[in-house]
Parts: sequence; C-alpha cells; structure tokens
Amino acid sequence: MNPEAFLEAGIAIYVAMAVALSVWLGIFVYLWRIDAQARVLKRELERERQREQPASRAPRATVKRVSSPEHEIVEK
Amino acid sequence: MVQQMAQVGKLLIGLWMAGVTIVMFLVIPQYEGLGNAGRIIIMHVPTAWVSVLAFAISAIFSGLYLWKRNPTYDDYAVAAAEGGFLFTALATVTGMIFSQVVWGIYWNWDPRQTSIFVLLLIYAALFALRSAIDDVQRRRQLSAVYSLFAFVTVPFLIFVAPRIADSTLHPNCVFIQGSTCDGITLDVGKIGLLGDRKIQLIALEREGDLVTAEVIVSEPGLSSETTLRPSFNLATGTMADRPEFPGVRYQLGLEYVDPSITSGLLNIEAPGTGVLDNRITLFTFLASIAGFTALFFWMLNLRANLLGLQWALAQRDGGRV
Repeated sequence: MNPEAFLEAGIAIYVAMAVALSVWLGIFVYLWRIDAQARVLKRELERERQREQPASRAPRATVKRVSSPEHEIVEK
Repeated sequence: MVQQMAQVGKLLIGLWMAGVTIVMFLVIPQYEGLGNAGRIIIMHVPTAWVSVLAFAISAIFSGLYLWKRNPTYDDYAVAAAEGGFLFTALATVTGMIFSQVVWGIYWNWDPRQTSIFVLLLIYAALFALRSAIDDVQRRRQLSAVYSLFAFVTVPFLIFVAPRIADSTLHPNCVFIQGSTCDGITLDVGKIGLLGDRKIQLIALEREGDLVTAEVIVSEPGLSSETTLRPSFNLATGTMADRPEFPGVRYQLGLEYVDPSITSGLLNIEAPGTGVLDNRITLFTFLASIAGFTALFFWMLNLRANLLGLQWALAQRDGGRV
C-alpha cells in the first residue's frame, strides 16, 4: 500500500486519531503499571518495617538479684 | 475500599481522555479558516492551564515545606514542578504544530513562544539546582525557596507578557475572552509592524462606500513582499474583503478608515473567531480540561509516592538519594 494514501484528506484524520489514541494508550498503560509496582513496593516496605518493629517493641524485663534467690524485682 | 475507588477513578481517566481524543477528531466541527488544524485547541489550551495549576501547587507545597519541614511536602513540590514542566512542554509542542499550519513556521520567537520558552528555562534551572546539591536538607530548602520565586514569574510570563506585546500572532483575540488584537493605525505611505510582518500602507482608494487599502506585506525576514487589498465599507462600518497573508491562514483586515481617508486601522484577523460558541466544541474543551487536570493529579500523587519510596529505600540501605 502506498504510504501517502494515509495522508489523503478523508483518511488522514482517522490516522491522526489512531496515532493520538495509541500514544495515550501507551502513556496510560505505563502509568498504570508504575502505579501498581509502586503500591507493591510500598506494601513490602511497610511489611518489612513491621517485621523489624516487633523485636524492638517486645515487652522488656530485667531481673535483679537483691539479697537472696527468693526475692526478685521485676521491672517492666 | 478507598483504593478500589482510586483504581476505578484511574480507569475512568483513561476512558475519559480516550473519549475526548475521539470526539476531538471525529465529532467537533472544523474551524472556519483553520480546518482540522484548529482541533489542536482541545489539547493545547488544557495542557497550558494544567501547567499553571501545577506550578501553583509546587509553590504551595514549597511554602508548606519551608514552614513544616516535612519531606513529603518537598516530594509533592518537586512532583508538581516536574508535571508543570511536562505539561508546559506539551503546550509548547502542540502550539508549534498549530504555528506551522497557521503561521507557516514552527518557531518564530513570537512573544507567546518566547515567554513560554523562558518559563521552561526557569523550571529547568530548578531541576539543575536540585541535582547540583548533595546535601539533602540544603537541596530541599533551596529548591523550595527557588520554586516560590519561580512561581512569581508564572503569571507574568503566561498571562501578562504575551498580552502587553503589541505584535503577537498568538490568537488571544480568538480564544481568550477579554483579549484584544489592537492592530495598527497607519497613515498613507507609512510603515508598521503587524505580528511578525512589516506592512506599508501604500494607498487608500474610495469607490462609493467602499474604501480599499493597498498594503505591501513583507514576509518574516523580509525575504519577499506581497501586495494585499483589504477593504472597508463606510456605510456599514464593517470590514469587507479580507485577503489572506501569503502562506498562512490569517487575514489582513481594514477595520477602520478615518473620515478624511488618509489613515486606516489594519489588523490581523484570526480565522475561527467564536470557535467556542459551538456547544459540542465548548463541552469537549471543558471535558479536556477536566481530564488533563485529573491526569495531572494522578501523576502528581504517583510521582510523589515514588520519590517517597526512593527516599525510604535509600534510608534503609544507608545510601544517598
């Protein structure tokens, strides 16, 4: 097919529209995928943070020997 | 639930903009004198509008960062400035395409083109500034201050400068309410500048109620000259014949002639006047503005989130951003 046929008056407008729609579709898919990947990454980071936090937030207790083994002071 | 609604919203943006594109090409009528080229207004003006909005949002978040010192505000300020730069570039490119069709040249340093170019340079300098400073706190502070100063220039460069310039081909008087193309009043024999063209009023000849002007129009760069003969009807006080400038779709109009027939008001007549009077065109135009605005906010949020993630990852890995 002659490439110039795409530029004929009756067809050119449809060709221009198809190009514009393709560009928009490409941009949309690109944004959509990045958006999804960013969400996954954010979730993973949050999970990672939560995994790290329990150890630091666990109740701490120290045991002190005062006078005899029967008496213990427990600090929380 | 909120996330599902956001997903639906993003899908709607996709469909909305696809619909606007189809209507822009296939449904709205052609513009008188501009043909299909005039359809680009549906993309050109909304992208320019979104760029102003983006720069305003960037300035707001920059101010918030300087006030609260919250890094998230800096992320949003940068994301908005990047979005504004992108949409300004889009407005420039779509304007250049229109310029090629209507003025016969992609770029001719028209006041509107020059001011938008300066705006692009100002915001390009913001990104250069950010990339030149290693210290994160200092980078955020300086770019926030710069962004505030940069925004001060936006209203001037986008709204004021092109309007105060006497010789612009930008069709303000066609598309923007309240704008006027004043034209130029010349005595017979005098030379003046209309848009980017030198014109000389050679003669005014009266025949009944019709006054015809003989005007020599020089091409930009004075490469060639053409004689045009616009006319004015004294009885009705309206323009009669409006010949086209050579190679472009703008017309030369004789808008007024003084009673002694010694001087006349010559002006560029842009085809497509009243283009937004058409209901379908107006609604498509508004739909495009809404679509581009929604798209910008999606991009803003996404980019700011990505910057936040980048920072969080760098913190975790002990690296630098």
